[in-house]
Amino acid sequence: MNKLAEWQLTLPLALAFAAIFLAPLLMLVGVSFFDDDKITQPGVAQWAKFLGDPFSYKVIADTLLLGVKTVCATILVGYPLALVYLDSPQRLQKVLIFIIVMPLLLSVVVRTFAWIVVLGREGVVNQVLLSLGIISEPLRLLQTELGLVISLTQIEMPLMLLPLISVMSRLDPNLRDASAALGASRWRTLFTVIVPLSMPGLVAGCLLVFASATTAFISQTVIGGVRLIYLPLLIWQQSLVVFNWPFAAVVSITLLVSVLTVVSALSYLGRRSGGYVHG
Amino acid sequence: MFSRRSLLAGATVLGGASLLPAIAHAKGIVTAATYPGSWEDAYRTVVAPALKKAHDIDLELQPLYAVDQIAKVRAARGAPPFDAFVLDPGPRITGIEGGLFEKFDGKKISNAPNLPAGMIDEWGICVGAQVVGIGYNPKKLPKPKGWKDLLSDPWVSRLGITGFQTTFGTVSLIEIAKAFGGSETNVEPAFVELKKVLPKIAAVGNPAAMAGLLQQGQCDITYTNIQTVAILKSRGVDIEFVKPDTGAVAFFTTMHIAKGAADAENAYKYFDTVVSKTVGDALVKPPHNFIPVNKEVVLPPSLPMTNLDEMSTYIRHDWSKINPLRAGWIEKFNKEMAK
Repeated sequence: MNKLAEWQLTLPLALAFAAIFLAPLLMLVGVSFFDDDKITQPGVAQWAKFLGDPFSYKVIADTLLLGVKTVCATILVGYPLALVYLDSPQRLQKVLIFIIVMPLLLSVVVRTFAWIVVLGREGVVNQVLLSLGIISEPLRLLQTELGLVISLTQIEMPLMLLPLISVMSRLDPNLRDASAALGASRWRTLFTVIVPLSMPGLVAGCLLVFASATTAFISQTVIGGVRLIYLPLLIWQQSLVVFNWPFAAVVSITLLVSVLTVVSALSYLGRRSGGYVHG
Repeated sequence: MFSRRSLLAGATVLGGASLLPAIAHAKGIVTAATYPGSWEDAYRTVVAPALKKAHDIDLELQPLYAVDQIAKVRAARGAPPFDAFVLDPGPRITGIEGGLFEKFDGKKISNAPNLPAGMIDEWGICVGAQVVGIGYNPKKLPKPKGWKDLLSDPWVSRLGITGFQTTFGTVSLIEIAKAFGGSETNVEPAFVELKKVLPKIAAVGNPAAMAGLLQQGQCDITYTNIQTVAILKSRGVDIEFVKPDTGAVAFFTTMHIAKGAADAENAYKYFDTVVSKTVGDALVKPPHNFIPVNKEVVLPPSLPMTNLDEMSTYIRHDWSKINPLRAGWIEKFNKEMAK
């Protein structure tokens, strides 16, 4: 097939992309430059209102920090799990991959409400701790950032593990043997051989978990409650309760830009680490 | 032998033929928005079969909160995703101001003579009343007397609250403000008092999560409407409804035809079925506990009012005054309650 024909093959997707993604995005930007909720007066009042309010910066920072905390927690739990997967016999690997993928088969709403049952005042965690005599009063886990990060870690875990396992499975097992034969300890082999080589998968996982955690409106509001305010909650309030679409557009663009900035930085790191591994 | 192609063709013809009676039989459909939860349950089990029986119309329900209905129809710009709205007073005014409703022709409602005066206007029809008060767990807490009790011990440390996103949240916060010297348009005292007890409050939640939080014992008292209490009770949750000493809040729920609706005539038949005596008789019973508007329906003692005339003894609010202030209140609630 010649080059021109290949280019033509991408046309339907490109047109669909332009119609479904680019056009609404441009409309979103356009709507943000109106002063009134009826979208009749062009202006920058909504931008001025959002950017002039210190509360907005707190919400942006909290949203990005939630993403960072969730990414760190998924790495802490997910990376050892990926190592266990790597060392397991093939039959066990099949079982592990089923367990890892299983949460994806459940609706996020169901998973989120299940966490209410787990983290609630009369939930599983508090019941166990109370019955063991570790605590005398139920801990407040729901409606706290700690509870939210714990639940997001489980909810987003497949997004970290799948790219990580896919990259780690392709690692040459001889490299680990060579490292051990040259006298490196298991920890040294981990940090100087396995971690650098698995970096592309790790970065891809971080990217997916970060983007998903910062925009997880249902989990954020149901588990975190409305005292933990993140950008998706503001967008929902402004678009669906107050009907101030220009202001909702401003917050949406802010969320898009701030998440994209972090994702681009991660993606850049991923490309560099890919070059480091293969180059 | 059958070839694969002939088998597929045969299956298609047979499958298609099985649909024919349904196509020939169905007189039409109406797509109606309904509130998620207790309303959706009741409309699916009571109204849909009644509409099919009375007019041979299939009812397709879209579970959406009032504000979501307004947002969807505004975004659809003349091609609404459903034919009929069900709204609380605040979003109803937003809908009228936004030109989202078709003009309503009350003559098409055969049950109109059985409705109290003023239940039908040029924009829609009242289909029921809602009562908002306090829901609490009698096994964990003593019975509260009124709104003021919510913010004092022992209730405050088990209190779950929501913000101004919903009608029941907004009216309850207004009543709390009034209990501390505020008014329908001045909720500042509620903010001041809430701020004082904020660290003690058990949950500040999303309205959609409140039923789950009550069920899981995360909070044991909250402001809510009587239907939510009824449905939680039917699921075995220990919860009782209390009319506050200063009075419970009541408001009418109305239905409207969306501008550009595909099946406006069927929507009228749907409204007529909703306000019929048969449907009303079924909806007043547990677990639904609705307060229907049809005068021929006898309200059981389990409901907080014995007839609709008592609506005048309940606290009512002027949403044309509340709506313009609501955006500011939501913003303030975010800032005051944020951790």
